Amino acid sequence: MHSEKDSINYNLVELAYQLFTRVKDSDFEYIYRGGFSQKISKNLLSLAESNVKNTAGRTDLKNRIYFVMVEGLQNITKHGDEPEAYLDIEDSGMFAIQRKLGKYYITTGNVINKESERSLKPKLDQLNILEKDQLNKLRKEVLVGGELSDKGGAGLGLIEMARKSGKKLVYEFEPVDDKASFFYFRTEIQGEQSLYQESAPSIVDDRSIEDVKSLHKKLNEENVLINFNGKFNRENILSILSVIKGQMNISSTSKKVYGIMVEMLQNISKHTNNIEENIKNRGIFFLSKKDNKFILTSGNYIHNSDIDGLVKKIDGINNLSAEDLYEQYNSVLLDITPSEKKTGLGFIDIKIKSENKIIYYFKEIDNNFSFFALQSTIQIKD
Amino acid sequence: MRSLIIEATEDTPLVYFNPSEGKFIMEKSSLPENAVEYYSPVLEWLKEYQQTPNPKTVFDFSLDYLNTASSKQIFEVIMMINKISAVSDVTLRWHYDSIDEDMLGLGKRFSHLVNIKFEFIEYENEDDFEI
Repeated sequence: MHSEKDSINYNLVELAYQLFTRVKDSDFEYIYRGGFSQKISKNLLSLAESNVKNTAGRTDLKNRIYFVMVEGLQNITKHGDEPEAYLDIEDSGMFAIQRKLGKYYITTGNVINKESERSLKPKLDQLNILEKDQLNKLRKEVLVGGELSDKGGAGLGLIEMARKSGKKLVYEFEPVDDKASFFYFRTEIQGEQSLYQESAPSIVDDRSIEDVKSLHKKLNEENVLINFNGKFNRENILSILSVIKGQMNISSTSKKVYGIMVEMLQNISKHTNNIEENIKNRGIFFLSKKDNKFILTSGNYIHNSDIDGLVKKIDGINNLSAEDLYEQYNSVLLDITPSEKKTGLGFIDIKIKSENKIIYYFKEIDNNFSFFALQSTIQIKD
Repeated sequence: MRSLIIEATEDTPLVYFNPSEGKFIMEKSSLPENAVEYYSPVLEWLKEYQQTPNPKTVFDFSLDYLNTASSKQIFEVIMMINKISAVSDVTLRWHYDSIDEDMLGLGKRFSHLVNIKFEFIEYENEDDFEI
C-alpha cells in the first residue's frame, strides 16, 4: 500500500524496505557518501561512536573499533592526492560502519591514482601474510626506524589496523579509468565472544566486501548522501543532524531539510514507542539528492492495527490547501487537550516546509507488524 | 523575584529570564522529544512572574531550530506572556535568521493568535554550517 505509485521517488521507499530488512534488529549499518572535511569526519566519528557504545559492551572492543575508524577516515582525508578530474568521484568517497551478527566492519572508499594503487597493493598483501607476532615485530621496527615506505614497507597506520583487527584486511581496487581506481578497504573486528580466541583462524569473508560494494553502488545510483539503519535515540539523532549540518551549505533549503529531518527522525522513536523492546526505536533514514531536489526517506515498524489511522491522517494533510494547512496548524496549537504525542503538528509542518505531498508506503512483515516508510521532497531553491 | 536561567544544550535552548536586569531571553535550538517536560519550569516561572511583573517586559526570542513539539510549547509560553501583557507593557521581539522564512512565518502565525506587541527582527546567519 502506498500513496503515489507513479512518483519518481517510489523506488526509494522500496529501497528503504530492502535496506531495512537486510539488517538484523540488533545490528546497525551506517553509510556516508560525500566529501570528507575534518569537521565531517569528527561528526561521523561521534555518530559511529554513539552506536558502538550502545552495542559493544567491552571498553577494549570499543577502543579497537574507534581506532580503526579514525585511521580509516584519516586515510581518506590524507590521500586526497587526486586532482579536479576526479572531483565527482572524490566527492563520493565513502565511509561505512556495520555491525553484523556481532561483528563490526569498517569500510572506507576513495579514489586513488594508479601509482598509489601499485605501491599500496604489495603493502596490504604483505601485512595479510604476517602472523600476529610478526605484525608486532614489524610495528616495532617501524617505530624505531621510522616509516619504511621507501623500502616498500607498510605505514604504521595500516600495521595498527591489521593488529587491532586480527583479521585479514580486505581490499579491492575498482578501475575508474586508466589513471585511477576506487579503493575499497574493509577492516573486520570481532565482537564480544571471539575476542579472546587468540589463535582463531583468519577466515577472510570475501563476500563481505562484495556486499558493501553492491550497497555502495545502489546508494550511488540514487545519490544517497547518508544512510542510517539501526536504532534511533537522542544521541545518534543529534549526531546524524550534525553530519548533515556539516555537509550542507547554509541556505533556506538546508534549514527546511534540517527541520523535516528532525520531525522524521523523532517520528521513528515516537511511532515505535508501544512496540516490543527489541525492535523499539529501530528504523532507517536516508537523505538523497536528485534532479535539484532533496529527498528524505524514513522507515520503521508499525502495528498493522495503526495503519488505517495513519493513512487517514496523512491523506487528510496531503489534501489540504496551503491556507487550510495553516488553519489546521493553528487549531492544533489552540487545542489544549491532546498530549504532546498527539499534537499531529509533525506531518503538517513537514507538508508546510516541503510544499510537497508526503509519500508513504506500507509493506506487511507479519500478522502484527508492517514496515512503514515516509518520504518528503524539497525543491532546491537557492 | 528570582531569575530563571537554564543553560543551553545541543537540543534545548538557553533561557535567561532576569527581571532585575530586565532581560527575558530565549535563544538557540529547541529540539527535545519531550518538550512538555523541558518547558514546564519555564511556564511555571512565567506564572509566578505574572504576580509581580516589571512595568515593562521585553522578551527576546531568537530560536534557530524548532521541532514541532517545541513549537507547541512555545505557543504555550506565548499564551502565558499574553496573560502577562494584561499587567505589564509587553513586547515580544521575534528574531529570525534572514534566510529562514519558516521561522518568520511561525512567528507571524503566533502573533495573529494573541494580543501581544510583536516585533520581527532579522539577523544575518552566523556561519554554523560549513561552506
